Amino acid sequence: MTALLRLIGVGGVIAYRALFNWTTPAMFVGTLLVGPLFQLLFFAYLGRQLGVADDGFYITGNAVLAASLACVFGGTMAVSNERRFGTLGHVLLSPRSRTAVFLGRVLPYAANGLLIAVTTLTAASLLLGLRVPVDALPGLLLTLAVAALACGFFGLTLGAIGLRFRDVWLVSNVSVALLLLLTGVNVPAAGLPAWMRVTGELLPITHAAEAARRLVAGEGFGAAAPPLAAELAIAVGYAVLAATLLKLFEAESRRRASLDTL
Amino acid sequence: MSEHAIEAVGLRRTYRSRTGWLRPQRREVEAVRGVDLTVGNGELFGLLGPNGAGKTTTIKLLNTLLIPTAGEARICGFDVVRQTREVRRRIGYVFGGDRGLYDRLSARDNLRYFAELYGVPGREQKRRIAELLDLVRLSGRENDRVEGYSRGMRQRLHIARGLLHRPRVLFLDEPSIGVDPVAARELRQTVADLAATGTTVLLTTHYMAEADELCGRIAVIANGTIQALGTPAELRHHADGRQVLEVEAYGVGDAQLAVIHALPGVREASVVVTGAAQVLTVQSDAGVDVQADVLRALDGVRLGRVTARQPTLEDAYVAIVNRVDAQALPVEAVAV
Repeated sequence: MTALLRLIGVGGVIAYRALFNWTTPAMFVGTLLVGPLFQLLFFAYLGRQLGVADDGFYITGNAVLAASLACVFGGTMAVSNERRFGTLGHVLLSPRSRTAVFLGRVLPYAANGLLIAVTTLTAASLLLGLRVPVDALPGLLLTLAVAALACGFFGLTLGAIGLRFRDVWLVSNVSVALLLLLTGVNVPAAGLPAWMRVTGELLPITHAAEAARRLVAGEGFGAAAPPLAAELAIAVGYAVLAATLLKLFEAESRRRASLDTL
Repeated sequence: MSEHAIEAVGLRRTYRSRTGWLRPQRREVEAVRGVDLTVGNGELFGLLGPNGAGKTTTIKLLNTLLIPTAGEARICGFDVVRQTREVRRRIGYVFGGDRGLYDRLSARDNLRYFAELYGVPGREQKRRIAELLDLVRLSGRENDRVEGYSRGMRQRLHIARGLLHRPRVLFLDEPSIGVDPVAARELRQTVADLAATGTTVLLTTHYMAEADELCGRIAVIANGTIQALGTPAELRHHADGRQVLEVEAYGVGDAQLAVIHALPGVREASVVVTGAAQVLTVQSDAGVDVQADVLRALDGVRLGRVTARQPTLEDAYVAIVNRVDAQALPVEAVAV
């Protein structure tokens, strides 16, 4: 058990340092902290101009979405960068559980996403004057953590796809754009066509943004619990999907030599 | 304990690929075409062959990265297809080249990570990593990022990584490729030390001197099958009845090489470029003096030193591989 926890914890952190491209202070601050904050401000001012929704709608939604960049790209890098370093073969030769190896890699990215979301929410609230009820903070923190975890597993799923298809960064870029459009963060879900709404329901962020908005509106944890549970289910779903795809593609690589392993 | 560290029977591997959408072409390449091999516990075994001969594919079949199309293989008695976890616990894999390490991490962190992946218990990791850093002479540089390492240092770190979990069988796939002579000598010493501790080593290399110095037995693989197997001394017999003429030259062309090849008594002729010069190596029947004919064929080419000598292991290897080339069977099929 201790060995398994070490693999998930220690292994996950070392893998994060090895594989995440944005660990330098300049990249981290610029890409992951400043970028999402300006995106949030852009949509908040656009919302004011168009009168679609109030600041709270945009600040809360975009703060939750802020976690996605680090998590989606991080989850993708956690698998795809193995190709870049030529280390995939050595990882696949490990006798340890693949599920533990790869799912453990998501945790540092999720922690990263949580930090970014909290920072973005705090900075935007101070800049735009959003008041968040104090008793909503624990629930909000939990919501952001679940959203970050769901995004991490979503990214890992994309990374697993990257084992089979080389142009995974294209998929990641499109996915991040889809999160912006389909999760109801900037465009109210009611204003989207039905198929987009349904697709959004299956993506991370959608339900977490809803839960966060209810908490910020002072509706209490009871009101936020159903969408939060839905976000958790999305996280578990992507975790299972990522683990299945990793297993599937590894087995296929042994049969068809489909991975450029070494 | 199984009698053999490595056993392979009738091992075959065919690669199938498809290209094109409108008019798809299916291509089949038989990379390994029936390899039979046994390597004893603690043996240092060499697998030699030209590029594309099937060396790396054979290793990938043995180390579980690929499934054989036919045949079977066992490592320490465990089946490489069905008992992958047991096999992986007992093997280490090291390959040559710059890749295969996390450049942003230090050597120590690379080893820490792979120690986790290969199941080295937490309480043993620190001591084991320090031992291996000493073994591969990287102590003192262990906290430097790998991106600043020379190729020789990287190769030594590869070896340390391959040994973390004390594998009983170590696959070394061209570990000295691109390494300078001093670093290559250090690597050979490290490999020899390993074999002395009882680790079974399967080494693939292009360097005959390396194989000759290190390996107890050598298999020559070409065209996907084992063409010769024995001790270095036994393999040299493949060049029995021959003598070798070496000519340093500047500007030998294909036409002249073809003329030399066709001379009576000549068995092999090849040119290797070393720096600005070429070295023409001509193997001929021992009883036939071809020197005068060869020099006549090189009329007009600036020549350097001319040496006659007895065949080496490398000459025997060339003889084996060229014999295969002469009777080569098609290994690739294309279907539309």
